[in-house]
Amino acid sequence: MKRSRVIGLLAASVVAAGGLSACSASSNSNSDGVVNISITEYQQTRIDAVNKLIPGFEAEMKKQGKNIKVTMVADVLTDDQFKTKITQQLIAGQAPDVLDLGDSVVPGFAGAGYLAPLDDYLNNWDGWSHYYPQIKTASARQDGHVYDLVHETGVQNLFYRKDVLTSLGISTTQPATWDDLLARMVEVKNKTGGTPIVIPAGTAWGGSTWTEGFQPILGGTDKNYYSLDTGKWDLNSSGFHAVFDLYSQLFSKGLLPVQDLQNPNPWEPTKYVGFPAGTIPVAAQGTSGWKFDWGPAGKAPIPDLNNVVDTWQYPGLRSGDTPYGWSGLGFGFGIPEKSQHKDEAMLLAEYLSAGEPLADQLVSSGAASPRDDLADVKPYADEPKLIAAGKNLASSVYVPTGDGADQIAQAVAAATELIISGTADGDQAYDAFKKDATDLLGPSLIK
Amino acid sequence: MTSTVTAPASALAASQPPARKRRRRRSTPLIALLLGPAAVLIIVFIVAPAVYGMYLSFTNTQLTGFAARSPKLVGFDNYAYLLTNADFLSSLGHTGEFVLYSAIIGQTVLGMVAAILLSRPWIRGKGIFGAAILMPMVVPEVVASLTWASVLSNNSSGTLNLLTSFFGAGSTDWLQVVPLASVVAVNIWRGIAFAMIMFQAALEDVPVELIEAARIDGARAIQVFRHVTLPLIRGPVFLYLLLTTISTVGAFGLVYFLTQGGPAGQTRIAAIYIYERALQFSQIGIGSAASMILLAIVLVLGLVYVRLAKVEV
Repeated sequence: MKRSRVIGLLAASVVAAGGLSACSASSNSNSDGVVNISITEYQQTRIDAVNKLIPGFEAEMKKQGKNIKVTMVADVLTDDQFKTKITQQLIAGQAPDVLDLGDSVVPGFAGAGYLAPLDDYLNNWDGWSHYYPQIKTASARQDGHVYDLVHETGVQNLFYRKDVLTSLGISTTQPATWDDLLARMVEVKNKTGGTPIVIPAGTAWGGSTWTEGFQPILGGTDKNYYSLDTGKWDLNSSGFHAVFDLYSQLFSKGLLPVQDLQNPNPWEPTKYVGFPAGTIPVAAQGTSGWKFDWGPAGKAPIPDLNNVVDTWQYPGLRSGDTPYGWSGLGFGFGIPEKSQHKDEAMLLAEYLSAGEPLADQLVSSGAASPRDDLADVKPYADEPKLIAAGKNLASSVYVPTGDGADQIAQAVAAATELIISGTADGDQAYDAFKKDATDLLGPSLIK
Repeated sequence: MTSTVTAPASALAASQPPARKRRRRRSTPLIALLLGPAAVLIIVFIVAPAVYGMYLSFTNTQLTGFAARSPKLVGFDNYAYLLTNADFLSSLGHTGEFVLYSAIIGQTVLGMVAAILLSRPWIRGKGIFGAAILMPMVVPEVVASLTWASVLSNNSSGTLNLLTSFFGAGSTDWLQVVPLASVVAVNIWRGIAFAMIMFQAALEDVPVELIEAARIDGARAIQVFRHVTLPLIRGPVFLYLLLTTISTVGAFGLVYFLTQGGPAGQTRIAAIYIYERALQFSQIGIGSAASMILLAIVLVLGLVYVRLAKVEV
């Protein structure tokens, strides 16, 4: 009996000790005054770029009499995987102190109260005055506050293989309308038998079907589909139907690589295989294409990139529309509301969003600067394509959205999936989208 | 010759020596102490989340957006939405096909065949045969998925395409052309070992005399199996069906790693639908309601199996 009791007590002790040790929170502030903060990145290029900059930040802080140590929480993930992971961490209050967030997730996180408003910090930071006015305007979310410090941006355009189209005898001048572009793509298809253009579509591409595929086309022909003032989506806004019709035309003419679009990771056979090989000579792509995707150290390098690849602006979709580039906020640093070291985290965000540290990151990821004082800062100064993209920001189109963007993205992905799987035409896809979006958004977010 | 008188239980208890009673009383705290941690873990990590999940299914809880700040009770709205939602109903259909072909037909039938073959005394190399069948069970799910992604790869160096090329066939994108059949085949491969182990153990308990008697009566091998062996192992067979149905309905990793539910939702089984809704699109309320519907379906199936097997669970 005694032996049983001993074993029982031992078992209970082990369980209790395990439970208690799991519950204990690790302290992130040492008694010697060192403040430990963490930053997370989920793309290898950004991980490498920021890792190189951390020692410089720590040294700079030391000069200012602040003892701050930074830990990189690196985890290479896709956008969707990262969003899933960081959402759980934000809810649990376990997220790193600085989050490098894609713009598409910021409204949802800000709306839920996971991110700290940065307005006071930014108003006291001299770097904020160098941000382009349109970036500042777009950074203000639905409630008027800024929740992330944008550190890279870009312009979404149609990248095309100049060498391939020229060898096929296809015009490479800026197409004025989608009809013009479709006619050229049909010509390519007739000559090669392939599927000449890739635009994100369907559910496999995740949220990017909306942010990189559908929305850039929609925003060029219709800016009334969302109102920041009311926070409501207008599902009857005329542009939706026009864009679904365009997708339907692209499908019915056999121009989209529909099989690849329906596979997991559809960007791999299209952007990373088809475009570099020249079999898909046109791709919707942001500025990062010059570095992150097809640059010498990119995912799928294209030799002599600057000479064989060029960009068109998006052509006009409806009568009266003119060609345009679509700008996006790209990535920004956010700070969790539950972070215990917001001040130190903001110092890191500011350090990484100015001068050489920012220039290094922009060149690594292939993005344009959101600031007006970087054109002479190396290594950014040596990148004419990125500088040009930065200049194009002023004339590019952007329609800021807010709460409900995730649901719209979901409904658009599902509706375009119907098109590329051949089960719906433009009308039917639009009807399916409206029904789905109405269900998902609920009455409070619909005009 | 001696005679035995059976005393009533109460009389027996009354006649128990006081020392045994004291021992039982003294051991009660120890039993509670030993069971306590397990009970606490079950309550904290299984019962409480399930109850909370049920509560969430009646709310419009979201993980992102302004709605995340103030979730509200919405009654049966999520259930009504799901039961009229084509995507969800379609995912239930895919789950049914996946369970039927991979678990009920594939794993059970092939597991039974493997168990019967391994129980034959004339089979040589049982160890190698058994190890080959058991191997898929010990391979981690992610490793198995990546291995099969390589086997089913669409390029010419994919293992299956290499094999078919010997017969002059061109490369095929198996996960695109026959996605459901592909994931069914992979799940059969992975689950056959457990079926074989269970059926082997059951077959060993079948009295040899009964089989020999049936043979002497002129029964053929199929008749012996149908009329003698199968009725005797019905309990383990239905128990296996119950277990494999539960685990296959909840299957996620294997299918997600291979197809992520595509193409065009052809392999979007219920678990993937729930993952997409609850975690990718942050709609925890709807995801929880979908989980509850799935739980109800599994419970009904479980009851049917138990009823058919007359197994005491």
